Amino acid sequence: MNPALDHGLWPWIAMILFGFLPSEFWRMLSIFLARGVNESSPLLVWVRAVATALLAGVVARLLLTPSGALAAIPLWGRLGAMGVGLGVFALTRKSVFIAVLCAEASLIAVGFYVG
Amino acid sequence: MDWFREGARQALGGPMLIVAASLIGVGGIARDAGFSLEVAVGSTIFIWAGPAQLLFFSAVAAKMAWPAIAVSISLSSVRFVPMCVALLPMLRARRTSALSLIAAAHCISVTTWAEAMRRLPPLPRAARMPFFLGFSAMCLAGTSVSTAVGHALIGQMSRPFAAGLLFLTPIYFVSTLLRAARQPIDWMALVLGLAIAPFAQAWAPEGFDLPVLGAIGGTLAFVAQRLVDARKVER
Repeated sequence: MNPALDHGLWPWIAMILFGFLPSEFWRMLSIFLARGVNESSPLLVWVRAVATALLAGVVARLLLTPSGALAAIPLWGRLGAMGVGLGVFALTRKSVFIAVLCAEASLIAVGFYVG
Repeated sequence: MDWFREGARQALGGPMLIVAASLIGVGGIARDAGFSLEVAVGSTIFIWAGPAQLLFFSAVAAKMAWPAIAVSISLSSVRFVPMCVALLPMLRARRTSALSLIAAAHCISVTTWAEAMRRLPPLPRAARMPFFLGFSAMCLAGTSVSTAVGHALIGQMSRPFAAGLLFLTPIYFVSTLLRAARQPIDWMALVLGLAIAPFAQAWAPEGFDLPVLGAIGGTLAFVAQRLVDARKVER
């Protein structure tokens, strides 16, 4: 544990200063950037595609180089559970709920199998 | 119709449970790093970004230098720029106040963004902002509770279930966005982002892989959609 965290308000100050502000900066900046952007402009269509690809990258990172308990599941288990979820999603005519349920069940089953 | 309440009601159905469950782990990691329950819950309300929170607490636990922590958090949150720029114009009506825009920008996260992309377009313009704020408030409230639960219960959960919680974001995000996809560009951006990710991780400078990946994947999807549209016009 970091000894500095023992003192009164320091944990709050650390979280605000080094966690909240560096992250929130981008959201607040975006308010100005979004001003005057038309909802149907090609620029916005492009920005939306960039955001989607970026978030897909976040997902891929969670799947390929996970941290914590998810790292204990082998790669084939993580990708397999994802495949099961998407397969069920396609078969159930796009039911997010059933897809999540089946993917989770597969992943947890793999966890017990290898654990 | 009270759109704030309607937004909160729709979040209660499922999205809130998913986002709340997926952040239980954050509470546990915060406790491992030596933070109190209050600060863990505070991080959910203030930072409101799962990846940034995980990064913050695990970096503190690893005794990373404070400026380095701030820089890596900031890099992980650059993704909010395209997300906010895409969503805020949808929320804005003639009389939208600056304060509600600030509140809405703060509430944007992976889950609320993906859900808003699906739920907002059919709503009348004036209803969108109160709906989104109600929806997000419910997600924030539920997730605050789950962060506290995670902080209190860490270590008592078996590993496969803990892994299952961390797996919620990937599967939920991909299926929500596929469901929201209306045009080829939507699912192409998703598939390209997933496909490029391993290469971006290997080749892009440390910490910059996501912005690079987003720009390349998003632009390719955009160009592909343009080509599809052009062919439709020719016929």
